Amino acid sequence: MNCESHLPRPRGIQTTRRWFLEQCGIGLGKVGLATLLAADLPRISTAQALLPPPPIRQPGHGQAKAVIHLFMAGAPSHLELFDYKPELVKYDGKPLPPSIIGDQRYAFIRSDAAVMAPQFKFARHGNCGMELGEPLPQLASIADELCLVRSVKTDQFNHAPAQIFFNTGFAQPGRASIGSWVTYALGSESKDLPAFVVMSTGAGISGGSANWSSGFLPTKFTGVRLRNQGDLILNLANPAGIDAQLQRESLDLVQSLNQQQRKLQGDPEIETRISSYEMAHRLQSSAPELMDLKSESAETLQLYGCQPDQPSFARACLIARRMVERGVRFINIYHEGWDAHSDVVGNHRGNCAATDQGTAALIKDLKQRGLLDSTLVIWGGEFGRTPMVESNASLGRSLGRDHHPQAYSMLLAGGGIQGGQTYGATDEFGFHITEKPVHVHDLQATILHCLGLDHRTLTFPFKGLDMRLTGVEEHHPVLELLG
Amino acid sequence: MFIARQSRARAVLTWFIAWVLAGVCGTPMTVAQEEAGQAISYTRHIRPILATNCFPCHGPDENTREADLRLDTAAGATKDLGGYMAIAPGDPDESELLKRILETDPDLKMPPPASHKTIKPEQIALLKSWIAQGARYEQHWAFVPPTRPAIPELPTGLNGWSDHPVDRFVAQKWKLAGLAPAPNAPAEVLVRRLYLDLIGLPPTSEETRHWTERLLASPTVPQTVNQAAYLALVDELLASPHYGEHWARRWLDLARYADTNGYEKDRPRDIWPYRDWVIKALNQDTPFDRFTKAQLAGDLLADEQTDSRVATGFHRNTMLNEEGGIDPLEYRYYALNDRVATTGTTWLGLTLGCAQCHTHKYDPILHTEYFQLLAIFNNTEEPDLELPSPEQLAEERTRVAEAEKLLEQLPEFWPIEPGSDEIQRRQAALTQAFNSWLEQQQQAYPDWQPLTPESATSPRLHFESAADHSIFVVGDISKDDTYTLRFSQLPAGTRAVRLEVLPDDRLPGGGPGLTYFEGPKGDFFLGEFKLFATQGTDLVPLKFTRADQNYANNHFGGQNVSAQLALDNDPQTGWSCAGRFGERHAAVFELESPLTASSDCVLTMQFGRHYPCSLGKFRISFTSAEGPLSASVWSQPAERLLSKATDQLTAEEIETLRREFLLQAPEVKTQSDRIRELQRKPAYQKTLVLRERPRQFPRETYRHHRGEYLSPREQVQPGVPAFLPPLQLGNNQASRLAFADWLLERDHPLTYRVLVNRQWSALFGQGLVTTEGDFGLQGDPPSHPELLDWLAVEFVERGQSLKQLHRLLVTSRTYQLSSAVSAEHLRLDPANRWLARANRKRLTAEQVRDLVLTASGLLNRQMFGPPVFPPQPEGATETAYGGAGWNPSPAPDRYRRGIYTFMKRTAPYAMFTTFDAPSGEVCVAQRESSNTPLQSLTLLNAPVVAEAAQHFGKLLQEMEGPDSEKLSSLYQRVLGRLPRPEEVELVAGFLADQRRRLQTGELDAQQLTNQIPDSLLQDSEKERAATTGIEQDQGRALSLRREISAWALTARTILNLDEAIIRN
Repeated sequence: MNCESHLPRPRGIQTTRRWFLEQCGIGLGKVGLATLLAADLPRISTAQALLPPPPIRQPGHGQAKAVIHLFMAGAPSHLELFDYKPELVKYDGKPLPPSIIGDQRYAFIRSDAAVMAPQFKFARHGNCGMELGEPLPQLASIADELCLVRSVKTDQFNHAPAQIFFNTGFAQPGRASIGSWVTYALGSESKDLPAFVVMSTGAGISGGSANWSSGFLPTKFTGVRLRNQGDLILNLANPAGIDAQLQRESLDLVQSLNQQQRKLQGDPEIETRISSYEMAHRLQSSAPELMDLKSESAETLQLYGCQPDQPSFARACLIARRMVERGVRFINIYHEGWDAHSDVVGNHRGNCAATDQGTAALIKDLKQRGLLDSTLVIWGGEFGRTPMVESNASLGRSLGRDHHPQAYSMLLAGGGIQGGQTYGATDEFGFHITEKPVHVHDLQATILHCLGLDHRTLTFPFKGLDMRLTGVEEHHPVLELLG
Repeated sequence: MFIARQSRARAVLTWFIAWVLAGVCGTPMTVAQEEAGQAISYTRHIRPILATNCFPCHGPDENTREADLRLDTAAGATKDLGGYMAIAPGDPDESELLKRILETDPDLKMPPPASHKTIKPEQIALLKSWIAQGARYEQHWAFVPPTRPAIPELPTGLNGWSDHPVDRFVAQKWKLAGLAPAPNAPAEVLVRRLYLDLIGLPPTSEETRHWTERLLASPTVPQTVNQAAYLALVDELLASPHYGEHWARRWLDLARYADTNGYEKDRPRDIWPYRDWVIKALNQDTPFDRFTKAQLAGDLLADEQTDSRVATGFHRNTMLNEEGGIDPLEYRYYALNDRVATTGTTWLGLTLGCAQCHTHKYDPILHTEYFQLLAIFNNTEEPDLELPSPEQLAEERTRVAEAEKLLEQLPEFWPIEPGSDEIQRRQAALTQAFNSWLEQQQQAYPDWQPLTPESATSPRLHFESAADHSIFVVGDISKDDTYTLRFSQLPAGTRAVRLEVLPDDRLPGGGPGLTYFEGPKGDFFLGEFKLFATQGTDLVPLKFTRADQNYANNHFGGQNVSAQLALDNDPQTGWSCAGRFGERHAAVFELESPLTASSDCVLTMQFGRHYPCSLGKFRISFTSAEGPLSASVWSQPAERLLSKATDQLTAEEIETLRREFLLQAPEVKTQSDRIRELQRKPAYQKTLVLRERPRQFPRETYRHHRGEYLSPREQVQPGVPAFLPPLQLGNNQASRLAFADWLLERDHPLTYRVLVNRQWSALFGQGLVTTEGDFGLQGDPPSHPELLDWLAVEFVERGQSLKQLHRLLVTSRTYQLSSAVSAEHLRLDPANRWLARANRKRLTAEQVRDLVLTASGLLNRQMFGPPVFPPQPEGATETAYGGAGWNPSPAPDRYRRGIYTFMKRTAPYAMFTTFDAPSGEVCVAQRESSNTPLQSLTLLNAPVVAEAAQHFGKLLQEMEGPDSEKLSSLYQRVLGRLPRPEEVELVAGFLADQRRRLQTGELDAQQLTNQIPDSLLQDSEKERAATTGIEQDQGRALSLRREISAWALTARTILNLDEAIIRN
């Protein structure tokens, strides 16, 4: 039997790790519990020692090791980029049939607003003939690596709740994000970088820190923000005037004094503190090393189209690849700014220009380094956009599109996903899903599946319930997406 | 073979019972063995198995119940199922439950393979034994009212160890567990422990010295503290104003307190007066019943005061979504659900939120009962409460008096040519001007006839009409509200309609609009204004040709607004009065042609934009006067008099008109402007409160299918779950108040147990019930059930004083034990559930920062007031929506205690998040206590620590005496003790090394003291010069900085010790 499952779960108590190890007679590796920063840290600290064990990889599930989620916050228009609807041209300027709209509520427009034709040309690409909008030429060039899902749907039609829903499976803050779940389940393979990293290259993010919160999971599984410039991780740099030698000497003094205390006090938790300080110190050199792109070849920099010292989405993608190489488990890169309530053309041209090459380069780069099979890349937003135009003189808006939760598109690549396929379909207006709906919870189950995890058994007891990422309703990983 | 299986099963059983008991109770073997001798307990051993595996389909929820079988009650489990029963007490072999669990046919096996649940062999063995022993069901311990148990005797061997009731309950378990208590903690540890536990701050070095000495005053037995001195310290700390700050922080976690609205825009809100109320209430030791009632129903108390209304802010800490696309009523519904869940966790220790979507799977809370609880909180409005200070009120009285005086003096400012008889000539000029003005006005006045509509309707809104024909709107507005007003028999000849929009103190921002979030408070937006004549059942639109308004301004989008735009059939354009809320305005609408015959008419007004902005108070008038009409706004009393003939006016009425005339007269505009300025209501501090809706317009509550906002089903009335005592709803009592009374019933099974457990946890490091927010069936059972009950009863009988309870707990000897962990204790009781030693606790996030500031002498002990912005690393808030900035407060605000730090929900203060502080988005009953590298980075490098260390260094540098004394002071300030010789050796070595590097210039003293301005150095230097006669020079300043640096670096390391952020 498994001894942890019968241990009580007191919180905030600073004891027992050693006892746990001795009594249960199991090696740390076998416990399989994750640490935020792993390897030579003792694999568990006290609070964790008394938690139930996360499930191990399931046979028959995927073998991916890492996820890079490129979160297009603000919600790109599927109708401009991924889901061509010639019928909208016919309806341009006229309202949709009321039977299509039903009782859907909108943020800014009225349901009788006129239809707006797709604003970009579409063409078929790759051997698979994937149909994509014109502002994504680089992604189009690797269409055979991509899996385009045209039938994603969500429950939420406002940014903050929808983003939090996509990340945590629940529309209000308080639950664990998928990155936290995954690091909780699989731990870290990096000796000196956080397991769950969050970057942002656009404006601020609607859902805020709830998007990478650990919720009811231990706080150590919270995503660690990696900044584009300045201090890469908050408080990473030494304070003014403290050089490397001084930092090391200070640390040595702290550690010696902590060791003395450990002997007197007998609390094994002090050893965890000692390890945390060593890890912190390693992080001080490993994080700048991560961001130092000097070792990257000119070809690579050209592939991504980024300047080594100039923060950009493309550079963040390159850094994501470097993180994957270094064992980081889950990476979020937020690019906020897709909320085209007005001028969808200008908005999407700008955002596509900012993200197209970086995303395509990342996928190519991972592939040529043999990392694509073990790295799942996701590109997409929190919902889609309406076939109807948004215009409002009093708000100064024209030629925009409103929020649309019923159907939208996402791109997946790598991590066991079968490239070159287009999955699911919407009606002639891109309004409703007509084939193979993929609810956000299904997508989450799929991501977990790719990582070898079963969304039904990846649970955590909280407030008397076995919480899980995908909620209480029946949802399934979309196995057809896998190769 | 059969025998072999049996014996193996028995072996498994014996081994397993020991194991499970150890596991379920969290006890090591020794205690487990004691309990193993007793009967298997339904609550502790069986119910968890059944709850996980069986109750989802055979539990309290009727909707998911299969085969009409329930196993959560004895009656259900032993029901005759047609010649057999699920559980046959005493007879495992005849129990279908066991047969089905052991079944191998997947179609018959329970739990069904599809459920992915398996009951382990050892659990099956337990079930079997329990059934064999009679399958006795027990009522869940926490649902039975607590009674005062007898205080047990001390076990032999501990005679005379303590008389304290707490100790006697605790010691009883030690005997069973084979544990002996740890020695007492040293006096200095106790002093620091009490400071950190009772007021949240470490003692200063003086306080450490003073109290350590007093505690050791009569050391007849070493290691024994003087209990009288100990009590004196406890009482001093309980009386400290910092006590309230410390304990308020824990309460605010439950209250999900924050200074912003949450979600995308996460804009600031003013609710800190509620935070201050909590601090004050705790400092005043407000009895817990009063404390509770004020927060849940302070607006409904018989002795309701501003204070108790501020307290209702507890349930205004819900989040508010101000995204453009939201449905405000949907988010109100979420907030309401949050109120139920938070109330459940805070007072009942129940996970009520689980029953939002379906009947609770484990606790006996029905889906309908959940919505009955929701109904209790549903009949509220969410206004701002203004909090003028006494000084502001006095000032306002002065201003009003001055305005009144000026108004009386206005005639004296009437301009005339200078010369003789000025008084008479002025009087005459004034009278003449007034008379001609009045005549002119009377002629021009369109004789508006205010009318109260026959009916006024709009979904979810109620219209209250007043004698002056004004209409006040109550209820829930949306982004698109249409008011439909019916007027009967409008006279023939009616040519125009006037809409007056009226201010009212009950409205947000003083009105006239009902906007209270997203847009500016008080805003409205009239998109369409239409009049119809009724012909039979048909409505015939009447055409307006012209509209005018006295004032128009748009808050949003910069487009023009006007009454005319409310006639254009485009609801996105219209009329609004932004910028002058809290004032009366008017618009007039002229018909193309007058009504030809008297007719019944319908007036519709459509309001809304991307935020809800309907109208809160208005009046409709009609006239048959010919246009063009002006929408000028007169004071109400004066206007009424215009339709009267001059000779009918009384002297008083004349005076009213004269005042109106003077206020409008361009001749004295300078003075009348001044009067208007004096009359303008000043902006007072506000806080968010609850207010009961008018009882005649209760909000209806429905059960929502699967908890979904868009799926209301049958209506429900306020109520509580049936397994708890009944709720007494008096005829005239608002449900919130009745509910608060109900919670506070003396023998409520949950309220006081939950409360005392939380206090226990705060002081001892973990609760007697470790799941502090879940006392339901899935929660952990109490380690010391008798002690918990005794404390709950004692708490009520002692008058519900939290300070008394804290005093009781910290004066136990158990509390005073050493926290050093012996190998024996670690082996016998690793989780320390039996409390034979004290727990080591990591300080909370706010405590870590407070400690750093206190030790370095920077802490600003000022209490209360608006939140402050202490420094944090650049970019800490950049991922929040709009890349929110963070402008650090200047000193001394930046050194305030953590509880005053601005709490931004989407980007909480980074250091606090790192140390496990919650974000204020949901109710948190228990914080985590993690131990991570990010914490190490924070303590090593965060600006707040760097700044504090430098000030610490300066403080030590300025101290008189040798290094050893400075080092002692450093240790006392941070750790509350003196350094041990082996520590002195290490630290002195470090100090010497850094001094050397500073001397050679390898380390830059200027940089290392960059938070110490020259002025501070010079000040202390001048003092030194004055006393020593030594002149200051450049070299001296540098050597000072070097010395400050050396000590700052040393202080920094000590602040980074594990012991610094641990309460031993």
